[in-house]
Amino acid sequence: MIKLSHIHKIFTQGNTEVVALSDISLHVKDGEFTVLKGASGSGKSTVLSLIAGLSRPSSGEVLVEGKAISKLPDNFSALFRRENIGFIFQKYNLIPTLSVRDNIILPLIPQNPSEEVLTHSVNHVMEKFSIAHKADMLVKNLSGGEQQRVAIARALINKPKIILADEPTANLDAKLSNELIAILKQLKEENTTIIVATHDPLFFDLDFVDAQVEMKNGKIV
Amino acid sequence: MKSKMNFLLLEYAINAILRRGKKNIFILLIFSMLVFLLSSVLFISDSIKLELNSVVKSLPEITLQRFVAGKQSDVSLSRAEELLSIEGVKSAIPRIWGYYYFKVAGVNFSVVGIDAFEDQYKESLQKIVDSVDVGVLEKNSGMIVGEGVKKVLEENYYKDFFNFVTAEGKWKKVTIAGVFSSDISLEANDMILLPKNTAYEIFGMDKKMATDIVVKVSNPKEIPMIVSKINLLFPDMRAITKDDIRVSYQNIFDYKSGFFLSLFLICAFTFFIIIYDKTSGLSSQEKKEIGILKAVGWSMDDIIKEKFYESFIISFCAFIMGLCAALFFVYFLQAPLLRDIFMGYSKLKPDFILPFSFNVEMLCLLFLLSVPIYIAATLIPSWKASTLDADEVMR
Repeated sequence: MIKLSHIHKIFTQGNTEVVALSDISLHVKDGEFTVLKGASGSGKSTVLSLIAGLSRPSSGEVLVEGKAISKLPDNFSALFRRENIGFIFQKYNLIPTLSVRDNIILPLIPQNPSEEVLTHSVNHVMEKFSIAHKADMLVKNLSGGEQQRVAIARALINKPKIILADEPTANLDAKLSNELIAILKQLKEENTTIIVATHDPLFFDLDFVDAQVEMKNGKIV
Repeated sequence: MKSKMNFLLLEYAINAILRRGKKNIFILLIFSMLVFLLSSVLFISDSIKLELNSVVKSLPEITLQRFVAGKQSDVSLSRAEELLSIEGVKSAIPRIWGYYYFKVAGVNFSVVGIDAFEDQYKESLQKIVDSVDVGVLEKNSGMIVGEGVKKVLEENYYKDFFNFVTAEGKWKKVTIAGVFSSDISLEANDMILLPKNTAYEIFGMDKKMATDIVVKVSNPKEIPMIVSKINLLFPDMRAITKDDIRVSYQNIFDYKSGFFLSLFLICAFTFFIIIYDKTSGLSSQEKKEIGILKAVGWSMDDIIKEKFYESFIISFCAFIMGLCAALFFVYFLQAPLLRDIFMGYSKLKPDFILPFSFNVEMLCLLFLLSVPIYIAATLIPSWKASTLDADEVMR
């Protein structure tokens, strides 16, 4: 369960304060597929960032799986994120000078798994997203679509309970977008909680979407 | 059983070093150079000090020189007999010696006259004298030379003999009867031992005179008192004690150390520029990487640990590389160029072998002043970046 209560988020840019979110409250049940829609700058990405504990609200509370992630100390919030959340970033946020394999295993490194577990996990996700043949290639040499698949594989390697996807189809063509949607549908069937922030109409008419939340100027409309 | 050491993290750290190869190679080279230079200087000075200490140790307690109108002059052999009357004097040995300038090579040889029936003023010399028949040496007009002397003579035509020019301007042909390699090579390297009569002839000295007299005492604690008695007995003589010579050597090395202190400061300055560069912040790429790692679930501890591995590997490798290079340079190559600066007072000196000396305390100090500082300089900005929200760092 994800619960945001009266969230305010203010960024400071120099001497100017920018209100990113204003009194946002949101409730997502376990296993639900929620689409956050809205124009660029409406605050969708900030909501995902707060749920993942990548940033903290200026006020209000974020509860994820019953834990106030926004109030957890850094090490606990990192551990919680590692075990429960898979984040698919709009700009992939891969390390360009690492290979596909090395990027995907990043979330596993702090857990220090055995070689056997590591190899099994990474091979499984690489095959699932058809990137096993490029395992040793540097990510910077891949196409946008391939990089997106690496980012998804990295987000899923820990088998998280929650998937947060920020504009996941922004850099994909129609075919790859449909492939991604099929993957998300499969994850939803496996009872994964999914929140997608997007302004791609492809997501608006999906029959497996449980809720659509529209945002505008940092508020839910 | 699961290992506590996270080898995946270590592997990631090594990978990170290789990914920023050019920058890290530059740091590694500068760091190694600094350690190499400083430890080389340390090894050389320690080595020479060790050698000189053994030289000083073997020196006579008191050396007496006669001065006439401020100029060193020969001293009568009869004074050696008179010195024995002073309480506490064990022996007084007159020496015939001097420097012989070999113009062609531009070097000075230390020419020492020996006599089969006289005690030598130090053990090492006594051993050499005992091993040769001085009578035969005199009969054949021969001499025994140090390894350095032999080398210089060979380089300048004289393979079996040498033509000295005597005080009267005549040639004195002396054959090389043997070469000695003293344990105390620093002082023996430029030495020529020949019979006293030959030495008298070369230096043009009266056979009733000596260059100086060395005095051995029964109790070293009595040296100041014996010196004051000698001064009363022979006011024209100057007594040089072992301590005076030690201070003199020390002064030479203090001067050399000063030179290297300035070199050290330049190196340290370069090192601290690197440190300053590191502490002043991470590149946007490095910051973003930290943000990504946080976003995928790395804690601050994981990031700091990884950065620690990175910096430790670089700095420790650089330290070991610099140290090994210095050991090789000093003890295998015998420190070319650097040794000339330390031993510049005689062209013959560079030929002696630097004895192995390993000052663990100084090396520990060097380690503590370099490796931990570099690690701290790497960890501080990484720690700063990892305290920020991942979202903020990735922007």
